[in-house]
Amino acid sequence: MSSQSKPMISRRQFFFIIVQTEIGVGVLSMPYDLHGIAKQDGWISLLITAFSLLIILFLLWMLAKRHPSLNFFQILERVFSKWPGKFIIVAYIIYFTSVSVLIVLLFGRMLSLWVLPSTPFWVLSILMVSVCLYLTASGLKIIARLYTSLSLFLFILIFLMVFCFSELEILYILPVAQSGWINIVKGANEGLLSYFGFIVTLVIYTYVEGKPKDKFKTVFWAHCFVTCFYLFVVLVSFTFFSTKEIALVQEPVLYMLKSFQFPIIARIDLFFLSIWVVSVATSFATYLFMTGMGLQTVFQKQSSILVTLAAISIFIISIFFGFESERLELLGNVVVFLGYAFGIFIPIFTLCISALRFKAKKEGGKQSE
Amino acid sequence: MGFFKKFLVGKSEQGNKQEKAFEHELPQKPHYAQPQQMSSSAQLSENIDYLFSQCKQTGDLKVRALDDGRAALVFYETLVDHEKMQKKIFAPIEMGHVGRIPDLPNSRQMTNLDEAIKKLLSGHVLYFDEDSTRITYFDVTASFNRSVEEPVNEKVVRGSHEGFVENIKTNVNLIRKRIEDKSLVVKYFKVGKKTNTNIAIVYMNGIADPEIVRKIEQRITDISVDMVQSPGFIEEFIEDSTSSPFPQMLNTERPDRVSANIMEGRIAVMAEGSPTSLIAPSTFFMFYQSPDDYNMRWYTGTFIRLIRLTSFLIAIGLPAFYIAVVSFHFEVIPDDLIVPVKSSINDIAYPPLVEALVMVIIIELIREAGIRLPSPVGQTIGIVGGLVIGDAVVRAGLISNLMIIVVALTAIASFVVPSNELSTTLRLLTFPLIFLAGTLGFVGIMFGLLFIAIHLTKLESFGVPYFAPIAPLSLNDLKDTFVRIPLYKMNKRPKDAHPTKQLAMEESREWKKNEQSK
Amino acid sequence: MNKVICVILSLLVLTGCWDQRHFKNYNLALSVGFDQLENGSIIETVSIPTIMGSPEGPLKPKVQIVSSKAPTTLDAREKIDQRISASFDPSKLQVVLVGEDLAKRDIYPVLDGFYRNPNSNLNARLAVVEGSAKEVISVKTPNESRVSQYITGLLESVVLGTYSTGENLQLISAELMEPGEDFTLPILKKVVQGDEQLVEYNGLGLFHNRSYTGEKIKQEDAVLFVLMQGQKGKRARITRKVNNDKAYEPLNYVTIKVMKIKRDLNVKVQGGEVKADLSLKISARILEYPHNQLVSLQIINKLSDRLTRVLTKDAKEIAAKTQSANSDVFSIGRRVKAYYPEVWNQMDWNKDYPNITITPKVEVDVKQHGIIN
Repeated sequence: MSSQSKPMISRRQFFFIIVQTEIGVGVLSMPYDLHGIAKQDGWISLLITAFSLLIILFLLWMLAKRHPSLNFFQILERVFSKWPGKFIIVAYIIYFTSVSVLIVLLFGRMLSLWVLPSTPFWVLSILMVSVCLYLTASGLKIIARLYTSLSLFLFILIFLMVFCFSELEILYILPVAQSGWINIVKGANEGLLSYFGFIVTLVIYTYVEGKPKDKFKTVFWAHCFVTCFYLFVVLVSFTFFSTKEIALVQEPVLYMLKSFQFPIIARIDLFFLSIWVVSVATSFATYLFMTGMGLQTVFQKQSSILVTLAAISIFIISIFFGFESERLELLGNVVVFLGYAFGIFIPIFTLCISALRFKAKKEGGKQSE
Repeated sequence: MGFFKKFLVGKSEQGNKQEKAFEHELPQKPHYAQPQQMSSSAQLSENIDYLFSQCKQTGDLKVRALDDGRAALVFYETLVDHEKMQKKIFAPIEMGHVGRIPDLPNSRQMTNLDEAIKKLLSGHVLYFDEDSTRITYFDVTASFNRSVEEPVNEKVVRGSHEGFVENIKTNVNLIRKRIEDKSLVVKYFKVGKKTNTNIAIVYMNGIADPEIVRKIEQRITDISVDMVQSPGFIEEFIEDSTSSPFPQMLNTERPDRVSANIMEGRIAVMAEGSPTSLIAPSTFFMFYQSPDDYNMRWYTGTFIRLIRLTSFLIAIGLPAFYIAVVSFHFEVIPDDLIVPVKSSINDIAYPPLVEALVMVIIIELIREAGIRLPSPVGQTIGIVGGLVIGDAVVRAGLISNLMIIVVALTAIASFVVPSNELSTTLRLLTFPLIFLAGTLGFVGIMFGLLFIAIHLTKLESFGVPYFAPIAPLSLNDLKDTFVRIPLYKMNKRPKDAHPTKQLAMEESREWKKNEQSK
Repeated sequence: MNKVICVILSLLVLTGCWDQRHFKNYNLALSVGFDQLENGSIIETVSIPTIMGSPEGPLKPKVQIVSSKAPTTLDAREKIDQRISASFDPSKLQVVLVGEDLAKRDIYPVLDGFYRNPNSNLNARLAVVEGSAKEVISVKTPNESRVSQYITGLLESVVLGTYSTGENLQLISAELMEPGEDFTLPILKKVVQGDEQLVEYNGLGLFHNRSYTGEKIKQEDAVLFVLMQGQKGKRARITRKVNNDKAYEPLNYVTIKVMKIKRDLNVKVQGGEVKADLSLKISARILEYPHNQLVSLQIINKLSDRLTRVLTKDAKEIAAKTQSANSDVFSIGRRVKAYYPEVWNQMDWNKDYPNITITPKVEVDVKQHGIIN
C-alpha cells in the first residue's frame, strides 16, 4: 500500500461502506434473535447495543486518530513492534476469515430454506465468493463507489416493508420492559452480531479524506443510519407478528412480506430476498477486502494471489463446515466471542499501549508544530 | 490495488516490449515522425527514376514532360483532379513560360524525395525541373465527396439534419461552424504505416482536461499498425479495457452531438474515410442521451429519457426474469394471471430456457438479415421473420406466445438505445443472465446484475469512471442523466469529463426578474 | 478478472438446474377443503383446473375435483398426487375451506403445512363450511368456470360489503397464537336452488383460540359486528326496523349506508374487574326510508335516535354472544396484557373473558338522506 499513492475515498463513500458492511446477513433474522431473549422489548436491547457501540466507535476513532497515516494493520505493527504485531494481524486475518465463512454459511442456509432447497451449497458459495473476489480485487475505490450506488437498494428494502404498515398492531410491543432489564441487556448481545461490520471504520480510516473530527461525524451518522434501519425492521416485525408468533418465525421480515400481493406481482418476499443478496455480498466483500489487506501487511507484498487464496480457503472451509443448525450456532457463538475480542478489546488494548508508548513522541510533535 | 488487472496488464506490456524490441531490429521503420534523408538530385531523370522505383512502377503514376523534357510534372492520375490541375498550373502560365511554375501562388517547395512521395500519395502534383534540387508541389487532390446528409442510423425528429461525411476536412468544418471559438483545437496525426490515415482530435482548449488530451495523443501515437480503416480500429487500440463488452467511446455521425460533447470538455477523434467520430472520455449514460432530448420540452425529454433507461433493464433483464418466474418462482405470478399464463405455456415441449435461446437467436438472425439485404428486401425479411415465423411458431406449439411477447419486447427495448454499439452489447448481455436465471432463478439474476454493476463501476474510459454519475455518485450530474432538467439550470458541466472550467453558463433568464420587477 | 469470468462460465457449463420447478409441469390446486372423519383422519379435497391452451388464447378450463383420506394433510396431498397427471402444487392456493367438524376441533394442524412451507400462498382466503367442505368444492357452478374463482369472488364481495374482516392465512396467524385475541371466519353453506347448486355466505363463525365455538354472528348482524371491530369495507349497509306503527311491514324499515365510522375501545381495570367500553360513531346516509318524508331536522334527528337505540341494543347482543362463545374478537385480553400486565398475569383469560363487562355504545348520525327529502 505504502508504495502506491493511497486510494482516497470521500466521506460520503466512507459512510456507505460502513452502512453496507454493517447491514448484512443479520437483517432477516435479527428481530427473531432479539425476541428470543428480550421478548417484545428487543428493540430496547437494540438501542442499548447501538449506544454502547457508539462509545466503542469513539475509542476506535481515538486510536485511528493517533496514527492518521497508517491503516489498522500498520498501526498494530507499529504499536506492538514487528513480530508481535504480525502475530496479532494473523489472528485478525483468522477472525475476518471466520466471519466471512459465517456470512457465506448463513447466506447459503437462508437461500436453501427459502428459495433453493436442492441447489448444492457449493454453487451458492462459489458464486458469492467469486463475485466478491472480483469486487475486492478492484480495490477500495471501486468498492466505495459501488457501495454508494448500491445503497439505493436499502431504500427499496425500506419501501417494501412500508407495505406492511396497514397491518401493524402497536399493542404487540406493549407492555414495555416486561421481560426484565436483565434479559434486555442480555438481548443486547444478540444485537451485536448485526453490528459487527463496525471494525471497518478502524481499518479503512486512514484512506478517508477530511479532518478527524469530520470523519467521526461520518462514523456517527452511519451508525445512526444503521441503527434507525434496524430499529425500523425490528419495530415493524414486532408489531406485525404477535408476541407468541414471532417466536416461531425465524425470518420475520421475509415472512411478513410473503403474505402481500400487488396487482402485478405477488410474493414480495422473493424480491426482498434477492435484494438482500446484494447486502450480504457487500458485507462479505468488505471482510474479504480486510482479510486481503491484512495478508498484504503480513507478507509485505501486493498481489492478487493472496486475496484469491483467502477467497478460495473461505470457499473450501465453508463447504466442509456445512450449514447444519448446531454447527452454525456454534460458529455463530464463536464469532460473537471473537467479535468482542477483536472488535472491542484488542483495539482498546492497542489504544492503551499506543497511548503509553507514543506519549512522549506525540508531545514532541506538538511542540514542534 | 487492481490485482487482476495489473497482472494482465503487466503481462501484455511485456509482450509489447518484446514486439517493440523486435521491431527495432528491422532495418527501416517508416514513421511519419522521422523523415527519410533522401534528398532530391539536380538531375531530373534521376529524380523521376527514384520516384518510379519507390512507387514500384505503378501504372497510374504519370509523368508529363514539359519544356522539351527539361521539366516534368509527376502525379497519380487516379488521385488528382485534372480540372484543378488545369486551373492551378496551366491556366496561369498559359501565356508565359513553364519556368514560372515554381513561382505560382499556390506552390510550395521542398527538397526531400521521400517526403515528396508522401505528397504524391496524398494527391499532390510534383514539379521537377532540370538543374534544380527543389521540388515544387501543388495540392490538386480529387475529392469525390458524398454531400452532407442526415445520418441514417442516428435520426432525430428535431434539430440539425447534418451528418458527417467521409472527408475529414468537411467534418472538422462542420464542427468549426458550430463552435466559432479560438480555443477549438484540431490536431492531426498520421496513423497506419501503409494507409497513412489522417486522424484528427478536436477539443476545446481550456475546457478539456489536458491530462486526458495528453493520454489520447499518447495512445494514438503509440498505434503502430499497417492499416487503420475506421474509428473502430482506433477504438480498439486506444480504449482502456478491450475485454469489456461495453463500448468505452461514443460513436456518432452527428456534428451537433460531437460539438455538444466537445463543449462539455470531451475530445472527439475523427478519421479520414469514415463519417463516424469517436468521443472520449465517455460514460455509460452518454449512450442514452440523444440530441432530440434537448429539442423537446424538458418534461417530454425527461420522460423519453426515463423510458430509454428503463429499456436498459428490460433489454438485459426481461427474458431472464420471465425464465426465472416460469421455471423457479411461479408464486410470483398474481392470482388473476395464473390461468392465462398457465394455459399459454402448458403444452410447450421445450423448457423455457431453450425457448428463450431459440427466440433470441431467431430475432438476431432476422435483424442481421434485414441489415445486410437491400432495404426493400430487408422489409420483407422483417415481415416474414416477425409475423410469419412468430405466428407459425406459436401455432406449431414450439414456443409459447408469452415468450414471443417477452423476446419481442426485449428486442425492441434494445433498439431504443440511441447507440448501435451499446444496443448490441445489451443483446449480448441477455445471454449470461438467461443462463443464470435458468440455473438459480432470481438469485442468479441478482448475482449477474451485481457482476455487471461491479464491472461497470470498475470500468474507466481514459481515466474517467465509466459509470459516472452513479458510481461515483455525483448528485449534481444526475440532472442530465435520468432526467433532463431545463437547459438554463444546467449551468455546470458534468464532472466526469474533468472539465477545467466547470461553469457553463451564467444567469440566462435574468430578463424574467427584470420583467417582473416592472 | 478473466479468472473470475472463467470460473463463472465453467459454473454455467456445470449447471444442473437443481431447483427448477417448471410451471407447466405442475397442476395448480386453487382451492382446497378439509373435513374431519369420525376416526380422526382428514379428507382433503382439491380443485385443479386443467387448462388447455390454444394459440387463440386460453380455452375454458375444466376443473378436476380430487379428494383423499389420510391422517395428515401432507399425507393426503401425497395420495392426491398419485391420482393426477402432473405433480400438484399448492403455492397458488386461493381458498382454504375447513369443514365445521374439523374447525370445532382445531384448525391449526391442517394449516401448519402452509405456514411451514416457503412456497405456500399465505394470501389464501379462509372460510368455515357448514356441512362438509368437499360438498362446497364440488359445487357445479353454472356461470363461473372455476369453483376457486367463484368462492374467492364470493368471499371478496363479502369483505367489500363489510360482512367479514377479510382474514387470510397470514392475518389469522397472529390471533391464532396470541392469547387474549380471537378471530372470526366467514361461514359458507351449500344451497340448492332448483337445478342450480350455489354457495351462500352464512354469517361469521366465532373462534376461540384454535377452534370454532359453534356460535356465529348472524348474517344480518355481521355488518354491525365488523364495524364494531373498527373495520369497514367499500360499502356497509344496515337495515333495521325502526317503527312499529305501519301495518305494511316494509314501511317500518330503514336502510342506511355507513359513510364513516369512528371506533374507540377503552379497557379499564377497576377493582380487579375488567371493563371495556366500546363506542362506535356512525355517520350515515339514508338509502331507503319509505316511512315518511325527511322534511325537517327534527324527523331526521328522531330517526338518528331510533337507529342509535336499535343498534346499541344489537351491539349489546353481539358482545354478549362473543362472551358466551368465549371468543375475544375485540382483543380486549391483549389490551389488558399491554396496559395492565400485573392484572393479566393473575387472570386466566380463557375463563375470565365471559365474566368481564363490555359496554357497547353505538351512535348514529344521519348526515345525508339522498337526493330527495
